[in-house]
Amino acid sequence: MNIQANPDLSIAALSIDSPEGRIVSDISLALGRGRPVTLLGESGSGKSLVAQAIMGNLPPGLHATGRVVFKGTDLLTETPAQRRRRWGRSICLLPQEPWLALDPTMRVLPQVAEIHRFVKEKDAARSNALAKENLAGVSLAHAGALYPFQMSGGMGQRAAIAMAHAADSELLIADEPTKGLDTVLRDSVTARLKREVEAGRLLLTITHDVAVARALGGMIGVMLDGRMVEHAPAEKLLEAPEHAYTKALLAAEPAKWEPQASAASGEVVLAGRGLAKRYDRRSLFSDLDISVAAGEIVSIFGPSGCGKTTLGSILLGLSPPDAGVVERRAGMSPLRFQKLYQDPPAAFAPHQTIRKGLTDLVRLHAKEWTAVERLLDRLRLPETLLDRLPSQVSGGELQRFALLRALLLDPAFLFADEATSRLDPVSQKEVITFLQEIVRETGPAVLFVTHDRDIAENISARAINLDNKGPLETAH
Amino acid sequence: MRNFLVARLLQAGLVATVVGALCFVLMRVLPGDAAMRIAAGRYGPDARIAEAAEKMRLELGLDRPLTAQFLEWIGDVLRLDLGHSLVTGSPVVHELKVQLGASMWLAASALALSLLVGPVIGLFSGLKPGGAIDRLALAGAVIFRAIPPFVLGLILMLVFSKQLGWLPPAGFGSPREMLLPALTLALGLAAMSSRITRNSVAAVAKAPYFAFARYKGLPEAVVVGRHGLRNAAIPVVSYLGLQAVYLVEGVVVVESLFAYPGIGHALVHAVVERDIPMVQGTALVMGLMFVVIAAIVDLLTHWLDPRVRRMA
Amino acid sequence: MSSIGDLSFARPKGRLPAGRMFGAGLLVLLGCFAIIGPMLIPADPAAQDFSASLAPIGGDFLLGADHYGRSLLARLAHGARLSFGLAFLTMLAAALPGVLLGLAAAWRGGWTERFLELSATIVLALPGLMLVLLLLAFAPGNYAPLFLGLSLTLWVEFYRVTKATTKSVLAQPHIEAARMLGFGSCYILVNYILPVIAPMIATLSAFAMATAIIAVSTLSAISVGLQPPTPELGSMIVELLPYYAEAPVHVLLPAMLIVLLVLGLQLLAQGDHG
Repeated sequence: MNIQANPDLSIAALSIDSPEGRIVSDISLALGRGRPVTLLGESGSGKSLVAQAIMGNLPPGLHATGRVVFKGTDLLTETPAQRRRRWGRSICLLPQEPWLALDPTMRVLPQVAEIHRFVKEKDAARSNALAKENLAGVSLAHAGALYPFQMSGGMGQRAAIAMAHAADSELLIADEPTKGLDTVLRDSVTARLKREVEAGRLLLTITHDVAVARALGGMIGVMLDGRMVEHAPAEKLLEAPEHAYTKALLAAEPAKWEPQASAASGEVVLAGRGLAKRYDRRSLFSDLDISVAAGEIVSIFGPSGCGKTTLGSILLGLSPPDAGVVERRAGMSPLRFQKLYQDPPAAFAPHQTIRKGLTDLVRLHAKEWTAVERLLDRLRLPETLLDRLPSQVSGGELQRFALLRALLLDPAFLFADEATSRLDPVSQKEVITFLQEIVRETGPAVLFVTHDRDIAENISARAINLDNKGPLETAH
Repeated sequence: MRNFLVARLLQAGLVATVVGALCFVLMRVLPGDAAMRIAAGRYGPDARIAEAAEKMRLELGLDRPLTAQFLEWIGDVLRLDLGHSLVTGSPVVHELKVQLGASMWLAASALALSLLVGPVIGLFSGLKPGGAIDRLALAGAVIFRAIPPFVLGLILMLVFSKQLGWLPPAGFGSPREMLLPALTLALGLAAMSSRITRNSVAAVAKAPYFAFARYKGLPEAVVVGRHGLRNAAIPVVSYLGLQAVYLVEGVVVVESLFAYPGIGHALVHAVVERDIPMVQGTALVMGLMFVVIAAIVDLLTHWLDPRVRRMA
Repeated sequence: MSSIGDLSFARPKGRLPAGRMFGAGLLVLLGCFAIIGPMLIPADPAAQDFSASLAPIGGDFLLGADHYGRSLLARLAHGARLSFGLAFLTMLAAALPGVLLGLAAAWRGGWTERFLELSATIVLALPGLMLVLLLLAFAPGNYAPLFLGLSLTLWVEFYRVTKATTKSVLAQPHIEAARMLGFGSCYILVNYILPVIAPMIATLSAFAMATAIIAVSTLSAISVGLQPPTPELGSMIVELLPYYAEAPVHVLLPAMLIVLLVLGLQLLAQGDHG
């Protein structure tokens, strides 16, 4: 452990208890100027609770013990009123999903200006002028009169950063600041956070994204099940992880995967020629040619809103193109064209057990239940999961069930629509690995849509970039 | 914004058409010759009635094709030419003027009373969901919503005028006489709006933007004033649109019960006496009253909620 | 007719909430009274006996007698049966077309939907009770316009909820997935749509019945609905009102029965969710 001699924030033996028992135990870390700390872990690992214990906004019923010393004062000994007085003054929070944290009925400028007006107690005109500067600082000078619902996720996140800047507190806590953002926006947010560190603020970041932790540098703490399993300087932890979980987490990062492009092994299954589609008077793509052959994975990547999903729907015949034709190899049953969805729970009927869905499918197509059993085995899905509802299994498991369901019909073409983007990195890697193995074994053609360039380049011989229209920001 | 007003104008047109069409059919299916009945209504049932009826037949155009008659009928309705009452013989519009004033007073005071009670109870319930006030308010709301307005009115009448003798049981003219009918309507309205307010306040209190306003360091009064009230008010105001139904229906019932000389009372009387021009006139005015309330609610929502403004 | 406008379909997880249980219990009791009561009680609700005018409760008549000396117990039982029965039929006549048309509109879209939307808008242009009143002008005091008018205004809510819910379910990825897996419309309707709309329809049905009970008794009380001597709860109250000074409880009995019926239905519909 590399703890500075005089840290500005030091946490010692912090534990958080709920009536049911301890949920976070024995966290120790220290923050100094120019040395940010990033807590890395999955949802449920307790990393957000640590942030809340520092901020002083733990959910009712939870209780923190230990020491949280901020500039010589133990915050945990302060009264709730004293702690609240620090909010926006010495401690400031960058919220997750800021488009929900902004007041939906107020324009952005007054939401920034009120910090100057009511926290810093400046007069109204001065507050407005300062708020305009804050917005200009995050390139939102033009957006002051917009309402949150008129802004994209990236703009919302920048507005939240402008507010953090306006507060100008010593300690900034960023809780999942990149949740829901695509890679381009993610990188711009991390860059802005880095600038805050360079300006001399203390930064504690909570994230599930290794790339964010890497970009921020400083110290990284890896959390698993309420414990900090590893805590080391970023360079060291990322280069030579010690704990098995850290290793798995790092290995799951798409940039670190071993490229394993599957190349075509058969003839073209599906081809689109001269495809064009417009949406909202805006061209998504035009004159696009695409073909996928048996045994190959073709990737499409691009930022959200670029028309990736639409292209897939056109190829599957779910929506018509404005121009162009889609050709399927002759003589194939339409049932052999299948799709994997972005949000696995949405692709299953919420009140039907997985077993019932599969039984009905087997009966409908006169298959054998043994085929299901074989695939369960193949995809390492325990049979006990069959009697659960889709909401009762994890996203990774459910996506494997979706794969199983499609494989029962011996697919010739699989359209995977951001099929792993909602999964945690380890499950993401698992599902993609299965997909690659299936392609090698039985040779369906796969069209894989992703917003992650690394994944696209690692798993496919051919990747189509749909981003040729320039980056687009769509409202949430 | 223009969309709302156009939609409400269309609704007003629909109200006129529906009421007009029903009354047109009514006029023609009721036993007895329409001209005869109107003539009798206007000149009294005396010997020269056949002559008068013939004149009336020509005046009404009852000798012309049905579609032409119908179009003309609707045209009259749209021009607010509502004819004469079959009972009193005086122009319907004259009668309506007086009654409409009385009903407006009743509806407005009921609404004002309910807004004094409902949202305030809702606010305190919503600040502490599941607390003592909330549970008490819930029980009250459940019971008051299960009591039909006429039963509630009767109970109030029995308690306050028969048992206690504090207030007159019926009549019109002084605020004292309006209090019981207005209170009857207000209690029902408040039972509903208190729950809507409670849910809306509880939702805002849990909303991430409300928490974030606190994290920004804003004083509590500013948090509530700037980020709480407006957001909590939106569902309450848009719910007033639904309450307009209750209010208009309630006016009919409560006016009849308390013999309050308003437009709802007149409608019921006209239905019982089959005074079709009066049925048409009163139904039309009440229907339009409903549309106007809905339009006012639209405007308020529009002003409160920028998201609606964009969708419009 | 306004009470069904504000549904919250939020269902508490886990155990059946106390409010719902209470509502269901209440309805079972009242249902027994309405169905078995008229058979068990020998007294004819229309039989007059002037010597027993306003007989007190607990004497020869269990619940006393009205001003004509008619057994209140018998009249209440028949009144409950009438309210329940008429409300149930009205609900059926509103729910069946409402649900079917809602499904059709969601499934077909296009002109079917536009036409049905227009019909719904026309019906909703006026508050429901006013439409019923206008229809009652054709034949005051009769069942037919009352029944027709109520069904005509109540089907819209069934239609709207069914249509909106079905549409949102049909737009979900799991429906697209099911179609791609080869499942037909019938399977989707039975397995994916009905389980979602059924609880909502049940809630709406209870509300519709409560609305119908309130409307029938209200209209009868203001003497445009069913007329005496029909043992209708609303008109019973008004008939007894002049004798309030002598027999206050007699007046309150039918009123309490109406309130309990409505309370039971509303509690069953949404428990204690106000």
